[in-house]
Amino acid sequence: MEKSFIQHPSSYRDPSGFIFLKEGVLYRQVNKVFAGDFDFFISSGCYEKLVLQKLLLPHEAIQENLTGSPEWHITLKPEPAAFLSWPYEWSFDMLKDAALLTLRLVRESVASGLILKDAAPYNVQWHKGRLIFIDTLSFEKYNEAAPWIAYRQFCEQFLGPLLLMHYRKMPLHQLLLAWPEGIPLNIIRSLLPGSSKFSLHTYLHIHLNARISSKGRASKKPAAKFSKQKLLNLITSLEALVNKLKLPAQKSAWSDYYDEASGRSDYLKAKKKIIGEWIDSVTGVTTAADLGANDGEFSRLAADRNIYTIAADFDPWCINNLYRSIKQSGQKNIQPLIADLSNPSPAIGFNNNERISFISRLKVDLCLALALIHHLCIGKNLSLEMTADFFSRIGRKALIIEFVPKSDEKVQLMLSVKKDIYTAYTEDNFKKTFSSYFQIARREVIGYSGRVLYLMTPHEK
Amino acid sequence: MHHLLYIDPGSGSYLVQAIIAAVLGVAFFFKNILAYIKSFFYRPPKKTDDNPPR
Repeated sequence: MEKSFIQHPSSYRDPSGFIFLKEGVLYRQVNKVFAGDFDFFISSGCYEKLVLQKLLLPHEAIQENLTGSPEWHITLKPEPAAFLSWPYEWSFDMLKDAALLTLRLVRESVASGLILKDAAPYNVQWHKGRLIFIDTLSFEKYNEAAPWIAYRQFCEQFLGPLLLMHYRKMPLHQLLLAWPEGIPLNIIRSLLPGSSKFSLHTYLHIHLNARISSKGRASKKPAAKFSKQKLLNLITSLEALVNKLKLPAQKSAWSDYYDEASGRSDYLKAKKKIIGEWIDSVTGVTTAADLGANDGEFSRLAADRNIYTIAADFDPWCINNLYRSIKQSGQKNIQPLIADLSNPSPAIGFNNNERISFISRLKVDLCLALALIHHLCIGKNLSLEMTADFFSRIGRKALIIEFVPKSDEKVQLMLSVKKDIYTAYTEDNFKKTFSSYFQIARREVIGYSGRVLYLMTPHEK
Repeated sequence: MHHLLYIDPGSGSYLVQAIIAAVLGVAFFFKNILAYIKSFFYRPPKKTDDNPPR
């Protein structure tokens, strides 16, 4: 018999329940085995408190067994998140805030007689302009005599990567793609500089932790009973450490792009005016992707028109700055993301099914590709054909793309260090190639810059 | 291995946490004493909330 629902391929680790898809809607089933803990999570007021504080994704409880499973206790319908993203696509401050959120949840839950049993960054998602915890089944009744079950997971999935970035002063989010279940402690320890041992908290949570664990002594008899005070000390220590970590600002490839471009303020102004008008001219746009978003200057144009905009850039510094400014301004419609279009996040996990690839997630109404094409064609040697095909599969309704001619100073800068093998890179060829995928609706030169904006709509498929 | 959190709650993890918590207990104990002594000599600094608004 065919199942009337699809269990989410990454929702198999925890027997407490699972996520499933039915008729296009995402639900979570709570199993009987977890009924006691879940009911206490609700009755203790913990759930309500966390939702009120905007730490946890709200759900609607449904008293109907949608899967027909005999294990069924209750069905939950969580508020849908717009676009899933994963820690290897986050900037330093995003991972840091996700870590602090996780620790805060431990504190809050312990105060209500529960504890967070799972400290995976995958349980944190971007929702309405902030990071929020999504796994309602991660809270179980707290036993004061037991230590924090997710402690090691926290050290390997949050603390380790953050410490490495802090001490090595470089973005290392890609490491989380290599070790999606967390970087093993002994690897973190060996990658950290020796000086990190002089920080008490780093020494304890990483160096000592790795040393004792590597001995692999499975002591069945606990040395001493754990206590609530000990747990709170542990959390205080982790919080103090994480709070201190930072990725020092460094000049990124683009960080002074707009400062420099401000000399060409008429260029930016003209560009914004055209793009603003064009976005208004396309009807029914609710989602957008700004690829090569830099610090999100143009993502804001879409976001201000109530369009949910994914702002992606390959530069982790830019995305970190964008995240900070969103945090400060409270802008709800922009989701910052690190993505290298020449090598977007792959599908990972069991059967390549648990976390889907960036491209399969990226389906939006409007695609913005501003001052990007020369990076793909000249920086990465992609052909115009490849880029046209790529863009035609992202924006369902429209593409706004900027063509940067070879005569442009930025392109000349790129060509000054490599051989010019890009004879096909001309505006004529660009137009011809893109015409086989798109209907070209508008074309406008931006001020005196020589750069050209195009508004295109994809051909019916 | 140790990643199977739902099967093996981290056999080594218990011992590690017991030791780390003990060290932290001592550290925080002295930190509190130090803060207490300091409070005799200095006026307590204005309480500032360094946590950004969430």
